Amino acid sequence: MDPNVNGQLQRDWGWLIAAYLFLGGVGAGAYTIGAINGLAAGGADFSTRVGLWVGFPALLIGTLCLLLDLGSPVKAVLAGVKLKTSWIARGFWIISAFMALSLLHLVLLEYTAVRGAVLAAIAVAGIVFAVGTMAYTGILLGAAKGIPFWRTGAVPVVFVVSALVTGHFTLLLGIVLFGGRGMAAADALELMTAEAVALVVGEVLAISFFLQAAFKQPDSRESAERILRRTSFVVGYAVLGLLVPLVLMLVLRYGLEDAAARGYRGTAALGAVLGLVGGLLLRHAVLVCGTLPTWNIAGFQFRRIARPKEPKPGIGLLPPR
Amino acid sequence: MPRYGMVIDLKRCYGCYACVMACKVKNHTPPGVFWSRVLKGERDEYPNTVRQALPVLCMQCEEPSCQEVCPTGATHTLDNGIVVVDKDKCMGCKYCMMACPYGARYSVEDWESYFPDGLPLSPYEVFAKAYWEEHSGVGVATKCDFCRDRLAAGDDPACVKACPANARTIGDLDDPTSEVSVLIKRFRGTPLNPELGNQPKVFYLAPR
Amino acid sequence: MTVSTARTATQEDVWIPTCCGQCYCMCGIKVRRQNGVVTEIEGNPAAPTGRGSICVKGLASPHLLYDPYRVNYPLKRTNPQKGLGVDPKFVRISWEEAYDLVVGKLEECRQRDPRGLFFQATTTQASEIRFGVIGFMKGFGTPNYWVSGGGLHCGNGAHFMNGIMHVSWSIIPDFAHCNLALNFGCSKGHGAGHTAVQNATQAADARVRGFKNIVFDPFQSAQASKAHEWVPIRVGTDGALALGLVNCLLNEHKIYDAEYLMYKTNAPYLIRPSDGRYMRDKATNKPQVWDVVDKRPKVHDDPSVTRVEYEDVAHEVALEGTYDVGGVRCQPAFALLKEHVKKYTPEYVEKVTWVPANDIRRIAKEFGEAAEIGATVTIPTAKGPKKIPKRPVGTHFFRGSQGHVNSGWTCLAIDMVNHIVGASDTYGSAMGLGAAVGAGYEKTGKPYQIPYPCPDGLLVAKTWVYDHVPYPLREPKPPTRLDLHDMFPTSIYNAFTIASPKWFEMLERFKIPYRPDVMINFGSNSVMTMGNSEIVTENFLKKFNFILSFQLYVTEFEEAVADVILPDACFLERYTPAVSFPSTFSHPQGEDDWGWTIRQPVVEPLHERKDFNVVMVELARRLGIHGAFYKGLNNTIPMRYGGPMQEKYKLVEDGSVIHSWEDICDRLLKDRFGEEHGLAHVRQTGVFTWPKRKEDVYWKWFNPSRVPIYFEYFIDAGEKMAKLWKQFGGDDFFKFDWSRFKALADWYPCPTHVEESQEYDMHAFYWRAVVHCNSMTQQNPYLDECAQEDPHVYAIQMHRRTAAAKGIADGDWVWLENDKGHRVKGWVSLSEGIEPRHLALAAISGHWGNYMPIARNKGPFFNDLVEMDLEHTDPLTFNQDICCRVKVYKADPSDVYKPLH
Repeated sequence: MDPNVNGQLQRDWGWLIAAYLFLGGVGAGAYTIGAINGLAAGGADFSTRVGLWVGFPALLIGTLCLLLDLGSPVKAVLAGVKLKTSWIARGFWIISAFMALSLLHLVLLEYTAVRGAVLAAIAVAGIVFAVGTMAYTGILLGAAKGIPFWRTGAVPVVFVVSALVTGHFTLLLGIVLFGGRGMAAADALELMTAEAVALVVGEVLAISFFLQAAFKQPDSRESAERILRRTSFVVGYAVLGLLVPLVLMLVLRYGLEDAAARGYRGTAALGAVLGLVGGLLLRHAVLVCGTLPTWNIAGFQFRRIARPKEPKPGIGLLPPR
Repeated sequence: MPRYGMVIDLKRCYGCYACVMACKVKNHTPPGVFWSRVLKGERDEYPNTVRQALPVLCMQCEEPSCQEVCPTGATHTLDNGIVVVDKDKCMGCKYCMMACPYGARYSVEDWESYFPDGLPLSPYEVFAKAYWEEHSGVGVATKCDFCRDRLAAGDDPACVKACPANARTIGDLDDPTSEVSVLIKRFRGTPLNPELGNQPKVFYLAPR
Repeated sequence: MTVSTARTATQEDVWIPTCCGQCYCMCGIKVRRQNGVVTEIEGNPAAPTGRGSICVKGLASPHLLYDPYRVNYPLKRTNPQKGLGVDPKFVRISWEEAYDLVVGKLEECRQRDPRGLFFQATTTQASEIRFGVIGFMKGFGTPNYWVSGGGLHCGNGAHFMNGIMHVSWSIIPDFAHCNLALNFGCSKGHGAGHTAVQNATQAADARVRGFKNIVFDPFQSAQASKAHEWVPIRVGTDGALALGLVNCLLNEHKIYDAEYLMYKTNAPYLIRPSDGRYMRDKATNKPQVWDVVDKRPKVHDDPSVTRVEYEDVAHEVALEGTYDVGGVRCQPAFALLKEHVKKYTPEYVEKVTWVPANDIRRIAKEFGEAAEIGATVTIPTAKGPKKIPKRPVGTHFFRGSQGHVNSGWTCLAIDMVNHIVGASDTYGSAMGLGAAVGAGYEKTGKPYQIPYPCPDGLLVAKTWVYDHVPYPLREPKPPTRLDLHDMFPTSIYNAFTIASPKWFEMLERFKIPYRPDVMINFGSNSVMTMGNSEIVTENFLKKFNFILSFQLYVTEFEEAVADVILPDACFLERYTPAVSFPSTFSHPQGEDDWGWTIRQPVVEPLHERKDFNVVMVELARRLGIHGAFYKGLNNTIPMRYGGPMQEKYKLVEDGSVIHSWEDICDRLLKDRFGEEHGLAHVRQTGVFTWPKRKEDVYWKWFNPSRVPIYFEYFIDAGEKMAKLWKQFGGDDFFKFDWSRFKALADWYPCPTHVEESQEYDMHAFYWRAVVHCNSMTQQNPYLDECAQEDPHVYAIQMHRRTAAAKGIADGDWVWLENDKGHRVKGWVSLSEGIEPRHLALAAISGHWGNYMPIARNKGPFFNDLVEMDLEHTDPLTFNQDICCRVKVYKADPSDVYKPLH
């Protein structure tokens, strides 16, 4: 039997939408941090370039994931029609704008000599739409009235913070892998581990607030309970994707301190990868733990029946065919 | 132009699922799709326990959150108040399904037979598949439309007609003398979860 | 195949009126056919049984018609081995080969002894049976027939007793005017029973009007959930509760309808203390009553002491006191009843039923007061306005309360409450289902059901579903049938004989000169519907040399034992000229018109399917017994369908004419409704309707019959049966409790109630879910999906507290095991809506056969817990006990049931 009919759980958005939201966050987050670093550096630094090389492709793949999830992808051209009311339509334009700007930024930076005010202006505009993209991935869920678990201001906050964390980890990873072993890269890494600690602590606070709020609402409590029973969330995200990277970053910041120290770069890369995987698991868990509200009337609480697992063979006399 | 609304009298309803099946066999919905659905609830401790059925369908909200979130404009409200999906405009993002707090929307990626083993489709299933593809569509959002073709032909929706307990009434909410308006007023009909603010046009009368 | 969606010029789009056949309710439906394909189903507004409404099962029928797992061709078993779990190795054969094979087997059987032919049929196609089964039996010359499961689980007690008391198959509140009903283990008006859809409409209207319903049931049934009050009761003890109510009414509250009892029951009949028989007038042999005015005994129908109509005037007759009649000190039956029920004190009843004593007192009082004894209404009749009693109360029962070893007396005890307050077949009261009286269509006077009094004054049905009316009883005779039926006039069917391991020894002892030989099965899956599947298969079904089955699917029955399967047409592919029995069975209830629905093919039988009755006509022709078959039909029709056939419509009995099935249908309709109303006419609307007279709806005070509250004739019957039983040495097989054959109602415990072992601590029982009927509907994927939408249909309902104490969680798999070691597996659904010592299992679920994949492995198979011996059988009616004590323990979902033997 179709699992869609199983109880109150939503079963229509899964991995593809999780990937879409995750990649949107990673791309926009990496771009944002990189671009800000670039602006601070008076043009661009290595992280700006990593952000640019990650931002546009991440969004492109993310959008592909969305298209794959669509029932009728050929009609995706209509996705931006109802800009006035629909967050998907708004997202369509925000992401389009961001992708256009980040692509332009990338091309100008890497293949032309355009610099200065023009590039800065493009970067500022890019940052605006990148922040919009990060926020959009959360607001999309926050605006869904059918799923009380999502319908809270905390989800956009969590997703924006997570986007920044995962974006930041992407830059960290980029620098470890491609930043060379020079002083600049070492300085950048040391700074980034410190920033990562702050960002991850921010995410811990945001997610705690989100779950606490979810537990308080009767209609979202079931989702909160479900997500806390979920291994991919508790072990995959909270422990491996959040706490372990936090510990690793703390070790790097206060234990090793020097980016030239043995194991520093490997540890940083490990922490970044775990953090990235965690970000994907977070979004997936939030999606698949979404449940419809209970319908209340005349003192009854109505829910769709959660069917037991398919009856196993052996009710009757004979073993299965 | 009437503004269609429905009244479901829970005192009459005894949870027989006739409405569910009437909808199935009128709209030929595939497995797992219940535009019309019956939920079963239980209240209070033994021996004061009571069970009650709750028939649900698309509430045809005045403030349809599904319509609000639809990016393409596929979901829209007709002049008669019925919320419908234009399958030619729907891109199948399923966002409306996340936005509907009544779980009234269903999307089918691939039409499935009710029978296992991949046997050739029966003539009824051949018809049902073609009907579904023409009227509802695969890869798009689908929902109850109060059987608007039947309403246009002057008949009641399939669920209303089949109900052995006559628990369902459909009519014009704008006409204060219509049966639905009178029932809502007289027996204080309330929508399901009114706090959600969607202003449904399906009203329930108390079970006891 | 063209589909309507392709907009071709030659599009067919028609609605064909016919009658649903998913259960025995016989609701009128309209079926949409588009380009030859059935696409939609609706209720038929022209049919009073539903008036356009229709239930979930009827609506789901397209999948019955087109199920790819239907049997579409004749099949032959090639594996000579039979039994559960044996691969039958069916191969397709042609119809000609099938006919040759079957005719050959039937010829051989006829040579040996035609009585070796045994018919088995389903309850779903109740009326089809009367032609191809009953008519053929008579033609072939065999008396052996039964409806598998039907009578055993639901019918033996209820239908027999309702026939005696209401000349009807069932009783139901007059929903239109009833104010308070007490319901014992049934869901009438809530999706169950006969004419269920029409009753559901009436019950819903009644609820809105303010009708109160008190439901006694171990769990929150559909009816209990809509009730004003749900009173949990221990399964199988409804009779004790009813007698407690009678006691409270008579002895505590002193509420009873003396008028009704005096003139409409045998309550005033004087009883001889020596042997419990009626005091009879020497000259006429009629029972006597005591005329209080003239102070002397009179025969019961003396004009001075009888009131046929309410406005008639008569002398009062004694209900109490002791009178001297010809030197014998005797008392009216009522006085005996009043004294007899004193032992059913509310406190005793509480111990038995677990219903608090004060509730029993309170409900009795409420019921008695709501009866408004003395109130009348005036109704329009053919003879002008007439005053009749208004008694807006009724007690009702069906399968739940009567499926026990106390079945007969429980039914009578529950209905007794009605007769105490005069609430029977009058305005607002308990009614025979289908307003059990009818004068027929005005131009032909048929179909009629006009009950009349026997010489003792008691109610006799004029038409009935069987050859013999429920009262007067058949004379017990030395048996000729394979189930010894002839000896037992108070039963419809029995299983304890044929399912006994000593069946053949009994046949020997009871001097039955033949043995089971050929079985013809029509639509039944008796492996699943009678009781424990191993007992049924080993003790009964494997005793036949050859089994032919007309079937829609290859069920567990065919897999285990059938030699040839013939592909039957379903109800959408066949003609049936009469789907029900006037007016006792699934006819329109209440004041709405009479309606006679017919079945007609919406599509011609698909593939190589053929309608059962068409094939039976052909088999008779090939056997050369068609004349006898037609004669059998001519003899079957008058009793079942409300009156004898006119000569010109009778089938030709001398064999000179071959009647087609359509011709037979046409003749029956023309005979009932006139030359112009043959098949061609009724086909247009699918139903023939005519107005119902109010005096036929509320017939009690227009009919001269009385009903018994004192069952004097059971004493005679019991003595005769016991004598026969002893004469043949029956005690060597079973010890009968002959004391049950007596005149006054009592409650008797089920084995469930005397079980002492603490190990078997739970009472398991089974209920019927609205989404399924019998076992066949489980293969319908629409219905199966719907059943899964319900939290209880495929589950074992268990109380939360009980489960917690046993360490069982919601959704856990468990075994239920009875003291014989029979066990069933299922998953648990926890609820507060069940008495904590009970377990409720729905429907005939748990199919295991290989050819019904939708039905397979859905829900627990309750019937495997049903033992089929006399210990679990009501000695009075042979109803089977369908409650049992079980122990519950956790199961591994992959555990497979291992047969015990």
